[in-house]
Amino acid sequence: MDKYQYQAVRIMEYVMLVAAIILIIFGKITGDTFFLRLATEALIFGGLALSVDLLLGIVGLLSLGQALYFGFGAYLSALILRDWVPSFWLCILLVAISSAILGWVTSYIALRSKGVYFALISFGLAQVFAKSIYNTRALGASDGMVGVPIVQIPLPFLTLNLGDAITFFVVTFILMSCIYFALKYFLYTPLGRIWGGVRSNESRLPYLGYNTQTPKRIAFILAAIVAGVSGALYPMLRGFVSPELMYFSVSGNAVITVVLGGVGTLIGSLFGSSLLMILKSIIGTLTFHHHIVIGLLFIVVVIFAPKGIVGILCTKLKERATR
Amino acid sequence: MSLPILKAKNLSKNFGGLRAVANVSFDVTPLGVTSIIGPNGAGKTTLFNLLSGLYIPDEGQLLLEDTDITQLSPVQRLACGMARSFQITNLFFDLTVEQNLQLASQKLESWTNLFYATSKSKLALKRAEELIEEFKLEAKKDEPVAFLSHGEQRRLEIAVTMALYPKILLLDEPTQGMSQGDTHNTSELIAELSKTVTILLIEHDVELVMDLSKHVIVMAQGEKIAEGNPHDVRNNPIVQTAYFGETE
Repeated sequence: MDKYQYQAVRIMEYVMLVAAIILIIFGKITGDTFFLRLATEALIFGGLALSVDLLLGIVGLLSLGQALYFGFGAYLSALILRDWVPSFWLCILLVAISSAILGWVTSYIALRSKGVYFALISFGLAQVFAKSIYNTRALGASDGMVGVPIVQIPLPFLTLNLGDAITFFVVTFILMSCIYFALKYFLYTPLGRIWGGVRSNESRLPYLGYNTQTPKRIAFILAAIVAGVSGALYPMLRGFVSPELMYFSVSGNAVITVVLGGVGTLIGSLFGSSLLMILKSIIGTLTFHHHIVIGLLFIVVVIFAPKGIVGILCTKLKERATR
Repeated sequence: MSLPILKAKNLSKNFGGLRAVANVSFDVTPLGVTSIIGPNGAGKTTLFNLLSGLYIPDEGQLLLEDTDITQLSPVQRLACGMARSFQITNLFFDLTVEQNLQLASQKLESWTNLFYATSKSKLALKRAEELIEEFKLEAKKDEPVAFLSHGEQRRLEIAVTMALYPKILLLDEPTQGMSQGDTHNTSELIAELSKTVTILLIEHDVELVMDLSKHVIVMAQGEKIAEGNPHDVRNNPIVQTAYFGETE
């Protein structure tokens, strides 16, 4: 990451923080929670995009099936909260551990191959899981699961009620910030550097003494945890889950989000998700065919701004510095 | 005469019906430069890949200081003290010079340091700094490798292989595509390095090989046809025939 990209990322972080504060103040003053719930959903899908960016932008693995872990987290969260105990912390903990195990197991299938084959295997894995759930009556089959209760989060001095849109937004924002900064921390460790080596020239690493499967597996498991935990928040917000959460449209949207925000920047995923959500809701009020517009937007971004919004900002900063 | 650091015994490798390397045996003694030369298609690169672990020989044995490394992977061979460079520059092009060298030096650290901030990997950072200085890359240390000149990239390629203090360094055409000036500088660099590490060199530039080497192995059509000191090899009629063809 050069100094301009570093600056661009820092600016985006502040933009996200300021936007969040404005949203909270707006929600508090007007009592209108529509935008807050929209922003919360954007952050949740931003978490999924973060996991895609970890694999794609940092390690160089294009996953077309990351929705598998997102959907898994969502279903497990719904099951725990609805049928067992409505505990936020227990739910997040169990989903994180289970997603790690699922990521570890599936990594032995997905990481057997590289490049386009990895993309196809990740896609295939998600399809298998999605169709299995679609045909499982105990999990609600095609209808999914409804009736997930509103969750309370007990803290030492207060109890947070996730039924309140502002509270839910703040909790999601804090959780996503923690995930974001944790992933960002890894970028500045030797492990992050090895990930960069895998992305840049994987075949060279064995001659420097590295077995490349282990760092790739660590990234794959981390990405599964991030996607799973993000998914766990979904039923808490919407009160239901459905097999569509594991479909290709969700995985594909996450890839579009990452490209729109800026591949390999992490913050671009959260920003891109927010932008995509705004665009969808604006375009959605004008036409039912908003997918066409989103598809066109993706093409335009790939052609004219392949490094996404962070890339555009980076170029502007460079131009300003050299002027 | 000192004991050999590397012993190749009857190494052979076939690709389908093609016998790329046939019963090649030789010894490499410590320090200095030992070179492998031969005309195009002689099997030099296949032999080099057998030595570095990219290929496993169909027959034969390879000993590094009496340790049998014949079946070992490149990762395991590096742990035994054998490092290699590549004929076509093979670096991490979107990482900076410093990051390339830190990545190459990271194996000096405990694996637990992988999860702490890079600044905690003191040994790796120190080694990277030493290499930047030794290979005169100070001015370019923050540049992505893709922005370096060809000569600088080739220099970095050697620096990367030196990161883990190897006992033997396999250099695959280190001056390939270099200008005359860069070739001269690299030649001096190899001569300097060979005082502290054993170097096995594959090189097309016969003059460079003759200037640098203490021992030369000549290959043709997958077989070793001659070996000896540069003077003897230069005057060997079999070698002259292999390079220039039969004289009437």
